[in-house]
Amino acid sequence: MELLNPHVLLPQIMHGIVFGAALGLLAMGLTVVFGLLGVMNFAHGELLLWGAYLSFSVLAFTHSYWVALLVAPFGVAIMGGVMEVSTLRPLYKREPLHGLILTFGLAMALRELVRPIWGKDTLVIKPNQIPALIQGSVPLLGMTYPRYRLFLLAFSILVMVALWAFFTRTRAGIMVRAAVQDSEMLDALGVAVPRLLTLTFAASAGLAAVAGVLLAPMFTVYPTMGAEMILLAFIVVILGGMGSIGGSVVAALLIGVAQSLLALKFNPQRASILIFAMMILVLIWRPRGLFGKEGVLE
Amino acid sequence: MLGDIILETQNLSRDFGALRALGHVDLQVPRGRVHSVIGPNGAGKTTFFNVVTGMYAPTAGRVIFKGEDITGVPPEAINWKGIAKTFQITQIFRELTVLENVQIACQSRLPETGKLRSLWAAPDVRDRAADLLKFFRLDGRLDEHAGNLSHGEQRFLDICLALATEPELLLLDEPTAGMTPSETREAVDLIMQVARRRGLTLLLIEHDMSVVMGISDRVTVLHQGLKIAEGTPDEVRADPKVVEAYLGGEL
Amino acid sequence: MMATLRAWPFWACAAGLALLPLISGPFYTYLWVTCLIFGILAMGLDILMGYTGQVSFGHAAFFGLGAYSTAVMIQFYKIQSLWVSLLVMAVVVGAYALIVSYFATTRRGIYFALLTLIFAEVVHRIFFYTYAFGASDGIQGLDPVTILPGVPVDTPTKIYYVVLAALLVCYLAASVLVRSHFGRVLAAIRENEDRARFLGYNVRRYKMVACVVSALIAGVAGALYPARAGFATPDLLMWTLSGEAIVMVMLGGAGTLVGPILGGAFFTILVEKVSSVWDYYFIAVGLVLAAVVLFMPKGLFGLVARWTRRREAPGAAGIRVPAGAAAEVRRDPAARAGRRT
Repeated sequence: MELLNPHVLLPQIMHGIVFGAALGLLAMGLTVVFGLLGVMNFAHGELLLWGAYLSFSVLAFTHSYWVALLVAPFGVAIMGGVMEVSTLRPLYKREPLHGLILTFGLAMALRELVRPIWGKDTLVIKPNQIPALIQGSVPLLGMTYPRYRLFLLAFSILVMVALWAFFTRTRAGIMVRAAVQDSEMLDALGVAVPRLLTLTFAASAGLAAVAGVLLAPMFTVYPTMGAEMILLAFIVVILGGMGSIGGSVVAALLIGVAQSLLALKFNPQRASILIFAMMILVLIWRPRGLFGKEGVLE
Repeated sequence: MLGDIILETQNLSRDFGALRALGHVDLQVPRGRVHSVIGPNGAGKTTFFNVVTGMYAPTAGRVIFKGEDITGVPPEAINWKGIAKTFQITQIFRELTVLENVQIACQSRLPETGKLRSLWAAPDVRDRAADLLKFFRLDGRLDEHAGNLSHGEQRFLDICLALATEPELLLLDEPTAGMTPSETREAVDLIMQVARRRGLTLLLIEHDMSVVMGISDRVTVLHQGLKIAEGTPDEVRADPKVVEAYLGGEL
Repeated sequence: MMATLRAWPFWACAAGLALLPLISGPFYTYLWVTCLIFGILAMGLDILMGYTGQVSFGHAAFFGLGAYSTAVMIQFYKIQSLWVSLLVMAVVVGAYALIVSYFATTRRGIYFALLTLIFAEVVHRIFFYTYAFGASDGIQGLDPVTILPGVPVDTPTKIYYVVLAALLVCYLAASVLVRSHFGRVLAAIRENEDRARFLGYNVRRYKMVACVVSALIAGVAGALYPARAGFATPDLLMWTLSGEAIVMVMLGGAGTLVGPILGGAFFTILVEKVSSVWDYYFIAVGLVLAAVVLFMPKGLFGLVARWTRRREAPGAAGIRVPAGAAAEVRRDPAARAGRRT
């Protein structure tokens, strides 16, 4: 069966891991924001979208991919900060469902807003816009693999490691992680809390944007990419168990690889439906998700 | 019958990740008695209640009620078996009226509940609900939104809700928290009256030592999840381990 | 129901609505039909969102499945009877709602929202990519539905009265439901799910039934849509419609039944006006939703009720989880992390 041909299988698995890494960045931001702010940010996918679109424009303007990689996430982070301060903060004292609906509304607006600005057609980042350093292919494990995808994987890992170091080695990070697990810690932090929440939200927005910038040259930039990614991110979060940052990453990798492998046999649309069917099966077997901790009543 | 063990826990433990909130707790509560669980903050008292009432499944050990193993049974089923609970932070239905609050509680026991008929009918339990509320001095506030009641009144309402489900064992999690001394006296008096009238067994978490000492038949002391002492109120009061645990506390 | 039938506002509104087509031309009558259809949809969502406190981001699926039920019956089976379509819709939407709610209620609050969204998006994709259902074009050029053999509903006025009748029936059924014991338990679940559970109620089962009822009402609206539009397309299954339904409920006032009907009508007219001058009106939709949540969470009905200082019916508080329960959830790390809680 030609599917088991390692020359076909191996690159697909790698593709899956690469995509899963970017998806993991996205899901991590979602998990941290939910844990700390108690808000499931429906607009998270659109932040990725804006990261991608902004990177396209910065790239077109400065002709430097590295500048785009720096500036676009920064810009989206600022967007996120403004969003948090002006729309989410008033809702913390209110019912959690209001925050949910609000982010849904913002998602609708942000999603549509790219159309008047950038048009509704797909934007392509041409190969010559990518630095030579990460262009082309290299031999890897008996195949030739695109350098850019390896760069994406490496950069994602770098970011994740940096985040891990932040969460375990720095004072601020340890406090945030503790607060994610126990919101009473939040009160113990005192006055710094509002600023901390804004920074966290902005950082998660920036993280989403990084994922968008990284994926843009690979997948092209189009208006519905935010919606597609957020759906996968939700599946990741459901499978990975909320509150488990590591769980999100693992689930993201699994989904990335699963999607890749399914794409060998089925067209992309069918593949996404099958991913979903997989999620259902996992939920039947283990309602708390793969890494969710058993405990409080359902 | 009076005196036989209505609730028993065996080696009950509950972990949250690396944190052992409850460890190897053995407890026996005879029917009709008042049993208090005390201990400094974080001792695991509320966790204990939550495990007994089905909110958490224990990591180890068993819970036996009236001779039946109810370990891991979900809360709604446990309530049907005859255990009711009030909450440390008052849990009532804020936007419903006081009367509606108790009516909903009363209706949960009716045979019509859960059947198709309940989609268009509402069984009349007004009198039962009103009587219960009257006993707890809330009959003047029947039509008010529950959220508008004073703190003490809300806690009474919480107790009414629990009682409306006709339990045999009532778990009270800090029932007098936040009450003034006179409210506390009134609350204790009313609770004891209704307990005697209905033959209830009471299991209490309390910080107010006067309440504990005043009404308990037996006291169990928890500290960091473990049972460190148990006995009559006087025995426990004199126990050096207990005094140390509280480090100069209210004993 | 008796209480509603006796109340004069009900008859006044019904009469007013009945007279509407007589004073409007065909264009506006079609607009009113659309208003009523989305009014039914919003009212259906309100049962779940406003009364039970569970936000559904996938109501478009119930609506769209209803529309396709009618379309498939007319196009492939040549059965134009509205009654048959409604029956098919009830089976299809009911089954789907059971399945979704079964999974969506396995975990707390937020998972319900996520899972309804994911399920709906999958349904959308299935219809979008399946040629048998017309793929992205959907099923077009439908014959009119019939309410009796040989009585086609083929003029704007006839369609209007059929939809109006459906609205009134649904409204009466819904008002009976929310005043019933079942409805009170839903309100209790919304106010304090844990407490309801500790009083012996099988909360999960109540949520599932509420979801099915809510879905069926949305499905009625969907089944009527092809009667007005003559087609059923995958657009009706898109998350965008789910979002619009939420706007309608919030705009009108969650937990009031009447509010969402108003919200549905108001929103439909608003979109009609704005979309004719601005292609990207959906930006406004999103911003309106955000603004409503921020500045008037009780919706128009809440504003009106405040002005007339009428005592709000229990459950008119909009989507609420009281501070106490929310605080308890925040305090409980496992619950906050949204694990199997």
